[in-house]
Amino acid sequence: MESYQVEYDKNGLLPDTFWRTPQRALPGRPCQRVGQEEVMSGSSYQQFQASVNDAWDLGDDDIISGIAETKISKAISQTAALNVINSHRNSSKNVNKSDVKESDGVKGREEVSEVRKNEVRKGGGAGLRHYPGRPRPVRPSALSSREESSESKLERFQQLHEIAVVNLDELKQISWSGIPVKARAVTWRLLAGYLPANSERRAETLERKRADYKHLVRQYYESERDDDTYRQIHIDIPRMSPLVALFQQHTVQVMFERILYIWAIRHPASGYVQGINDLVTPFFMVFLQEAAPGEELDNYPLDKLTEEQRDIIEADSFWCLSKFLDSIQDNYIFAQLGIQYKVNQLKELIRRIDLPLHEHLQSHGVDYLQFSFRWMNNLLTREIPLPCTIRLWDTYLAESDGFAIFQLYVCAAFLLHWRERLMLERDFQGLMILLQNVPTQNWTDSNISVLVAEAYRLKFAFADAPNHLQSAGKSDR
Amino acid sequence: MGTREDEYDYLFKVVLIGDSGVGKSSLLSRFTRNEFNLESKSTIGVEFATRSIEVDGKTIKAQIWDTAGQERYRAITSAYYRGAVGALLVYDIAKHLSYENVERWLRELRDHADQNILIMLVGNKSDLRHLRSIPTEEAKAFAEQNGLSFIETSALDSTNVEPAFQNILTEIYRIVSQRQMRDPPEGDVIRPDAEPADVRPSQADSVRKQCCQ
Repeated sequence: MESYQVEYDKNGLLPDTFWRTPQRALPGRPCQRVGQEEVMSGSSYQQFQASVNDAWDLGDDDIISGIAETKISKAISQTAALNVINSHRNSSKNVNKSDVKESDGVKGREEVSEVRKNEVRKGGGAGLRHYPGRPRPVRPSALSSREESSESKLERFQQLHEIAVVNLDELKQISWSGIPVKARAVTWRLLAGYLPANSERRAETLERKRADYKHLVRQYYESERDDDTYRQIHIDIPRMSPLVALFQQHTVQVMFERILYIWAIRHPASGYVQGINDLVTPFFMVFLQEAAPGEELDNYPLDKLTEEQRDIIEADSFWCLSKFLDSIQDNYIFAQLGIQYKVNQLKELIRRIDLPLHEHLQSHGVDYLQFSFRWMNNLLTREIPLPCTIRLWDTYLAESDGFAIFQLYVCAAFLLHWRERLMLERDFQGLMILLQNVPTQNWTDSNISVLVAEAYRLKFAFADAPNHLQSAGKSDR
Repeated sequence: MGTREDEYDYLFKVVLIGDSGVGKSSLLSRFTRNEFNLESKSTIGVEFATRSIEVDGKTIKAQIWDTAGQERYRAITSAYYRGAVGALLVYDIAKHLSYENVERWLRELRDHADQNILIMLVGNKSDLRHLRSIPTEEAKAFAEQNGLSFIETSALDSTNVEPAFQNILTEIYRIVSQRQMRDPPEGDVIRPDAEPADVRPSQADSVRKQCCQ
């Protein structure tokens, strides 16, 4: 745990400064405080358990591993934790519901169990109760408890997958905060809308879609190709992940080439736009991970898989990419209007959330387009390590209305995350160099959990008050 | 802070343009960091780097904008020509198409950049001797006809990268300092994106050094 603490600091993740930005109370913390108060005042054990249950759920195991920081005694919290684990197992239903709040504030909150509601009424300030009981930076906690928690989470996923007709809402709710590796491939297929919720139709659909893809390859890729499109893809693929041996294999590059080429030809309004290649990678990795479980993937020789396995990875990556891009196709049309629009929204959002930062950027001539274009175009894949991208996409895929809007808030949260450092920069070059090379090399899933939690909070505060963004088009420079 | 890097007499904005894959980013990283990645990632939108050089005892800070080569991006990247006083128009000596497209890039500059922008035609990848498809003389002649300076470089083995940037920055400096003698600067701090394209705003930082020290 200590080593995590150190790593956490080294990462430069500054939770206090991160959360300080808004003038609101800190999400995540209050829930623990609620728990404490309940203990102090000696109220019913059930209430206490419910409060800890919440903290356990949302912070994974902050209560257990972060004892030093909380004032709950070890003995009490461990007993409670055991109860929580049991209640996880016995009633995944209840647990899911507290996740609802994470993904879908108001709607979810209505469904929250009575006990939890009481807690909220007692403990939360007006602004607080709407916010998911998001953990403060979810530190990767002691490994054993982490595994324990992810194991029970995996069970919840497996239970959901096995139901005859998957409840997609429920699946989204538990996916929003991260999907266990073993459940990810299937969950992504479901969330992308590629795999039918009805389990009876799944095998047949997959078979048909995979055959369709083969047909598309023959129809478009193996016949006469559009030179311009092919050339651009062909130039981009080899330099996609230059330092990862996996992507330097010819087999892999050809798979990417086919996926992108066919996607581009079938989407003439946008065609292939540089950067879309990076968006294939997460799907490819997740499906590869499924085909080669437990393997070290960075150097994995793809020829070790059977042809059929490779075909599945390729076809499924293609279909999921297609579904995934559907909601953001305006990003890639002429002049990339969708991105320009979102960049303006980002600017307006930051101006409202953090005026000093906004003015700092403006006064040094930094234009939002100059740094956030790539964030939007590549969905942050260029800014964070690949495993973090995959974790981020758990949330994107779980966003109920598609992630186009949510992505805006993620970008805002991402920018605000660096605000202290940005404020220290004194000139245009310093700002731009930092913004184009933000130090995320050591980021882990926990950083993403914090990022999406903050994005969620911002979205809740701003998206539900449309006036906050109404003047987005208006220039304020 | 307060390092030498922060102090400069002139700040010049230079853009790198040309087809995708000709080596614009590699030229940039060779010049600003003396690094070369055999396969650097494609540039999305624009990327930015700086380096300072000395000319006549003056410190010139080059603010270099590396743009994405794909045609699709031009609607976005053209915004970055604003305020640029120099452009390196890069093609790949082994890819004829990238040379054919030079004319399109010139039109692009005429449409979006300041009319006084200095343009240097750069034939990159000169290390690929056996694959050369554009004779040096042909490109040189083309450059002369169009009033461009010309150089062949290799970001891979560093050949001529330093001179390419040195030459264009020096040339810009000569023009700017001559004009400065005729027409003294107003002393504004440079805001790369704040003013419409004009060579003049980028010369104006000479006051700053004195007042900062």
